[in-house]
Amino acid sequence: MSVRERVGPASDFLPEDGVDAAYAALATLLALVLVAPLAWLLVDAAGLGGEALDFLVASETLAVLVRSVALVAVVTVGGVAIGVPLAVLTVQASIPFRRFWTVLIALPLAVPSYLGAFAAISAFGPSGPLSEALGVPLPALEGFVGAAVVLTLYTYPYIFLTTRASLLSLDASLVEAARTLNCGRLAAFRRVTLPQILPGIAAGALLVALYTLADFGTPNFMNLEVYTQFIYSRHRAGMGGYAALLSLQLLAVTGVILAAESAIGADDSGAYASRGNRGAAELDLGAWRYPAMALPALVAAAALALPIGIFGFWLLRGGPGYELAQLTFSWSYGWNSVKVSLLAAVASILVALPIALRSATADSKLSSVTARIPYVGYATPGIVLAIALIAFTLEAAPPLYELGRDTVALVVFAYVVRFMPQAIGSIRTSTMQVDDRLVEAARTLGRSRFGAFRAVTFPLILPGIVTGAALVFLTSMKELPATLLLRPFGFDTLVTFIWRAEETGLYGQAAIPAFVLVVVSGLSMAVLLTQEDN
Amino acid sequence: MSDNTGFGRRRFVKTLAAGSAVGLAGCGLAPGSGTATDSGGDGGDGGSNAEIPSLTEFRGSGTLASGRPAPEGTSIQDLPDLSGDLNLYIGGGEGGIYYQFVEMLQEIYPEFTVFSSDAGSASLAQTIVDEVEAGAAQADVFWSIDASSLGYVANNDAYEPMPDEAVESVPSDFRGDDNAWVGVAGRARSVPYNTDELSESDIPDKVADFPGTDAFQDAMGWAPTYGAFKSFVTAMRLQRGADATQQWLESMQEAGIVRRGNEYVVSQQVADGTLSAGFANHYYAMRVLNQRPEAPIDLAFTSGDAGALVNVAGALAVQGTEKADLVADFVQHLLSAEAQEFFATVSFAYPMIPGVQPVGGLPTVDELNPPEIDLAELANLQPTLELMREAGVL
Repeated sequence: MSVRERVGPASDFLPEDGVDAAYAALATLLALVLVAPLAWLLVDAAGLGGEALDFLVASETLAVLVRSVALVAVVTVGGVAIGVPLAVLTVQASIPFRRFWTVLIALPLAVPSYLGAFAAISAFGPSGPLSEALGVPLPALEGFVGAAVVLTLYTYPYIFLTTRASLLSLDASLVEAARTLNCGRLAAFRRVTLPQILPGIAAGALLVALYTLADFGTPNFMNLEVYTQFIYSRHRAGMGGYAALLSLQLLAVTGVILAAESAIGADDSGAYASRGNRGAAELDLGAWRYPAMALPALVAAAALALPIGIFGFWLLRGGPGYELAQLTFSWSYGWNSVKVSLLAAVASILVALPIALRSATADSKLSSVTARIPYVGYATPGIVLAIALIAFTLEAAPPLYELGRDTVALVVFAYVVRFMPQAIGSIRTSTMQVDDRLVEAARTLGRSRFGAFRAVTFPLILPGIVTGAALVFLTSMKELPATLLLRPFGFDTLVTFIWRAEETGLYGQAAIPAFVLVVVSGLSMAVLLTQEDN
Repeated sequence: MSDNTGFGRRRFVKTLAAGSAVGLAGCGLAPGSGTATDSGGDGGDGGSNAEIPSLTEFRGSGTLASGRPAPEGTSIQDLPDLSGDLNLYIGGGEGGIYYQFVEMLQEIYPEFTVFSSDAGSASLAQTIVDEVEAGAAQADVFWSIDASSLGYVANNDAYEPMPDEAVESVPSDFRGDDNAWVGVAGRARSVPYNTDELSESDIPDKVADFPGTDAFQDAMGWAPTYGAFKSFVTAMRLQRGADATQQWLESMQEAGIVRRGNEYVVSQQVADGTLSAGFANHYYAMRVLNQRPEAPIDLAFTSGDAGALVNVAGALAVQGTEKADLVADFVQHLLSAEAQEFFATVSFAYPMIPGVQPVGGLPTVDELNPPEIDLAELANLQPTLELMREAGVL
């Protein structure tokens, strides 16, 4: 069933036909402007000429392709394996302290994965503090395994959150019907629940896969050469064309991932008009509900307690740095982080709204492509995007670049390109769940199209908008490479200060900003979770 | 944009108050008072309103910093005052420590403000080249932690040559052609060894002789994933060719070299006796010694090959800057006796001017015998990674 059939023909909050076309054009234009800076990649790669093919099939390039794809696969599967059971446990099963566990399990999303990687690589190893504390030599956590473990631990919350949202809006009567028809509990889950929450899982898995593909810090710390490292080292070595070619190849991998997600979510089977039917079937764990708490506890311990422990340890002991050096931390860095992230969140919503509304209600190929184009930005590593933005604006309009560097405009633009797709996703999902008969009723009662949108649709999709804004805010707070390269002179944020402390070896001094970062991001996480109750 | 001041200033004033007792006693030892200061031309305006803190403020306070002779060279007192705004791109690594010195300069000269932007040295080098090509340079100065990114900017003609008097105190090996850049702090490759197990005469003079040295069998460590190690291999490749370098890597592995995650760990394990010797940048052993002054660890240097490579952090004036004079004055401040003493005692870097001693009784920079290669060529990392991979090291 298509969206239109499901939602009904009267996608009425859209303006009249003429305006409609202009509106579609706007959505497409916005999507294109966002990826325009990546055009330099094509120009640069074209400069290679015939050599391009040789590079693409070189054994080294293929090895990186295989390694990157394998990492994406392992992390995504790992994220599903952790995120889905945790979502089921906190929504359907009655484990004690449900609210507490929900917040705790979502919290790793607030921790930049490179901080986790840094903590893990420092804590493990035969002479690391963990080995000393336990009295047993532990192996080092690095390479492919290290990167896979760390990335899984800090990205599964995406799957947890999207699966949870699907479970919460699950039509419980269907599950009950299956049960009355003699389906076992597991069979009912497999045959009724799973198909309904699959698009939710896929949406989360998409974010995890693209995050993994684009992450720079974690593979860097873990010393694993994937696309981001490979592109960066070619770029450093003055092989700009090759770097651009590799970036294009990375974007092609992104295309494959998007197509896979689209195949799962294409029939929009998760998109049914919400009848407000809440209270999904309870899963009674009986006495098992206490041992079941071990799962969230274990995950939280690995993802949260380890970095907090390591940073706290260094804060007290000074860390293995130069004890004579001292960086001056200013609270204004925190304010700067919040400021640019808020700007990015607001700008992202303004851009995402037309694209998401259009793709949720129109049933054309163009609109679905328009909604997916921006994911290219999300999959572009921050470092590649920053370099592309600099090169592009300098080529196209140096005054624009100067203006962008004098203000925070370039940083915010980069955040919007990278993180806005998260807003599109959540607005789109909530728009598809709007019961169209309500809009029709408003129209019958004499409201204009815009009036009906304001009075009916907007309040209903507001939770989706807030969730999208919170996700953009959260990820903007953590973004490092684009912030480093595009911010104005003298403008430091929490992550740029953390970066400076780590680079200098003054690990202990990264503790306070890291803690502030997690607390502020944690607050936006709370916003995110309260939306579920609306 | 007041982020650079505020908090920093208060902290510094507090430090000054706390250190004033020592500071008074140290006044007679203020650098420049007992040394020839004919360089610097106009002799500065020492009688200006700038208050130069005593030497103790610039000197680290650990074991390694005590009992050092007063540094020779041009004192900040004899340099022109700094005033105006400067846009600074500052590379990673020890960038935070360097930035600490910038904060001190801003305390000394209230009229002087630095707006900085720090990121990876290589990224910044690329940004500078892009900006200069488009005629939209943003920074006046680039302070990078490695010579290769300075070389990248220089080779792309994105620099402004500096006047001789600003850079001539540094040996020519550590300056770019045409005064394109000048080193301000150095990192030397070295061989940390355990003094209980070995003596200096046990360490060969050439890196090439290491695989055949019995004392090192199964007892030596390296950290091949570390950036400085890759520079070391690059230097060897530039000097001796790819085949000889790959062969060397292979024979080191046959000799049972032990792999560690970073060079600080290598140096610590040498001090612990877990390893008898290793390959590491010189300052890691200094950090070990600063925490454990009695640790049985010392450094040896090879001669004329990659084992004695000295890479430098340095500064460069960006083409199109309208503040070339201020940049030159700023660079002179980085090469002042106080600055060099600061880098030497706080980050254990190699001073770039002969008048300042490195910490821990290390040979001075002109006593080292680094390989004759163009430091800017260390940027060409790709062939190095390939041969390291082929040798099975990475």
